[in-house]
Amino acid sequence: MAATDLPSRRILRALDAGFTRIYGWRHNPLHQSGTLAVAMLLLLLATGLYLVLFYRVGAPSASVAALARDPWLGSWIRSLHRYASDLFVIAVVVHAVRMFAQRRSWGTRRLAWVSGLFLLGIGLMAAWTGFVMAWDSFGSRLAVEGARVLDALPFFSEPLSRIFSGEAPVPNAFFFVNLFLHIALPLGVGAGLWLHVSRLARPVLLPPRVVVWTTVGALTLLAILIPAPLGPAADPLVVVESTPLNLVTAWWLPLSEQLSPGQIWGSVVTLGLLLVMVPRWTRPKNRVGLDAPSVVDPRLCTGCNQCPQDCPWEAITMVERSDGRPTLLAQVDPTRCVSCGICAGSCAPMGIGPPGRSGRDQLATLRADGELVFTDSSLPSDGGAVVVICCSQIPASHRNALTQRGATVREVSCVGNLHSSVVELSIRRGATGVLVMGCPPRDCLGREGPKWLNERLFNEREAELQARVDRARVHTGTAAPGDLAGTLATFEKFKDSLTNVAMPRVDAVDDLELICDPVPFEDSTG
Amino acid sequence: MSRVGRWAFATLGSAVLLGVLAAASGPMWPHHADGHSWLRLSWGARPERIEVCRTLSEAELADRPEHMRQRVQCDGATASYQLLVRVDDSVLDARVLRGGGLRHDRPMHLLTDLQVKPGQRRVVVTLTRREADKEDENDSDDAVAISADTGIFAGRAEREREERKRQRRAAIPAALRLDTVVTFAPRQVQLITFDAESQQLRLESRGGGR
Repeated sequence: MAATDLPSRRILRALDAGFTRIYGWRHNPLHQSGTLAVAMLLLLLATGLYLVLFYRVGAPSASVAALARDPWLGSWIRSLHRYASDLFVIAVVVHAVRMFAQRRSWGTRRLAWVSGLFLLGIGLMAAWTGFVMAWDSFGSRLAVEGARVLDALPFFSEPLSRIFSGEAPVPNAFFFVNLFLHIALPLGVGAGLWLHVSRLARPVLLPPRVVVWTTVGALTLLAILIPAPLGPAADPLVVVESTPLNLVTAWWLPLSEQLSPGQIWGSVVTLGLLLVMVPRWTRPKNRVGLDAPSVVDPRLCTGCNQCPQDCPWEAITMVERSDGRPTLLAQVDPTRCVSCGICAGSCAPMGIGPPGRSGRDQLATLRADGELVFTDSSLPSDGGAVVVICCSQIPASHRNALTQRGATVREVSCVGNLHSSVVELSIRRGATGVLVMGCPPRDCLGREGPKWLNERLFNEREAELQARVDRARVHTGTAAPGDLAGTLATFEKFKDSLTNVAMPRVDAVDDLELICDPVPFEDSTG
Repeated sequence: MSRVGRWAFATLGSAVLLGVLAAASGPMWPHHADGHSWLRLSWGARPERIEVCRTLSEAELADRPEHMRQRVQCDGATASYQLLVRVDDSVLDARVLRGGGLRHDRPMHLLTDLQVKPGQRRVVVTLTRREADKEDENDSDDAVAISADTGIFAGRAEREREERKRQRRAAIPAALRLDTVVTFAPRQVQLITFDAESQQLRLESRGGGR
């Protein structure tokens, strides 16, 4: 697939592999970047509520210094607040880079992309106001730079910079407005977050509990051991040799101090426009092949309402039919469809899916593939004719290793796209077992592929694997970059488990009994 | 990898990540590492209006609605000023200052930081109005007729006179000069500002650098 060849995608895959080796795919923080940002936002709110109780607008630096000196709560809660804000920004940036590298910003996801940029901007501004609240040498440096940049705008009757000239003490009103912004901006993050996930059917907002609590615990430990730095109280008539500089949220400061306000505004606007245009640049030029939106075959649609429930993007609605049949008809909004193909796996009569990837297309491909017709004589000598159906995102190294171990490897665009009838047909055609290997659930490009796959194969969700199929011969697993050993272990374990399963003879007739016999289009229209 | 090995690996990895986070959270970064001192000029003041005023005749006043009968009519422009900053024998800054706004009739603000080598220096700051005074056609407030001020407009001529005086008092003087010797400590800011009460430039300094 072309997308997998992009350099950014290869770099991301290597990073994913590295983190999976350290944490395992279940707890890979790179897979949790978006939800980790939300968790950090909640942590920021909790610690911020405590800190604001002790913050005094009339004596900002003194009150923050007093907090920093408090060894029981103040010091580490302040530091935890700082580290959480850093991790929030890091998580948001990592999330954005993932979405860019995986080409997940075009189409209906454009709103999420743009609102995500908005959230990042608000987060950086909130961090800015937070540093200014402390009113140490770094906070003062940020305030002066911010005023210099804002003074270039023709909004203010008096230059803001003169507030910090030292002619008079910085007015309390400034710190009050700054405190207000620091509290109000995160409320904007809440609104932006709602917008960010508004086009998702079932947004997942938090990482697994173990990731949340481990992260909070680790940050707390860090806050206790290495308190966040606090510079000397700001004095407008003294310039300091150096200040603490937060390289996560204020990395731009040394650079911007060298530029004129016009250059800064020009850079910000240009960078902003470039980022906003990313969905336009990464969108497919033509919606064909793997990017083609799903289509509905009205002759086959029974109006069961399953595909709208399974679609992660709410791209499918049920509408009145025009052919007189008493059922509803699924209708795909191509502007919302991202071609994940999950609807194809949800449709028992196989009446929906992206072109070439509907259930019927999958069966036709399987039937045309002679390699998969195992007869008693063509079974491998160890009897282990295991078919492994892999998500196309799984690294080639995993597929090659599985092939070397005797597996017959097939590919599907996403395991959520896989129709359960393909599993049944594979077994009917002689496979001793079918192993479906998907991406880590939190890293599924189709968002819900592994979840719906398991529901369909083992929990009777439409389109469920028929009861006549021995579940002992079907298994699902996860193949994550960086965890080849895990992939092979899953395969070997499944293969071993098949030795105890009684194998029926190969079924010569591979016609499947469809759950719903489709009404011929011609008949329904008279 | 064994479970213990994986835990150890994850713990080590987390420790490294946390270390990077802590290191990125607040390393000391140079700001003014060169040890220079600074001379800061900062003030906000209203520029003078250079106007020609004349008193309207009774006939002219009668032609106007009662609420528009301003006795003295002034036309002119807002003054601009030449700023010159000398430290010892060198000119550090020379520029023209104008009022804010498109018509330059708003208060005039200045904020500038000039780098100075530490030590004892003679600082001379001059601010001089560039435009000459105009001669009023009739600038005698006493000549204003007050007979037409009746009803709610009674005493208007007096109020107008007071307002013109107030505006003149509020404006920055036509010429200001500060000539002083200052000891600049490294990384110290010496502030020169305009004291509106005394109508003079004033030096404010405090402490040494850090």
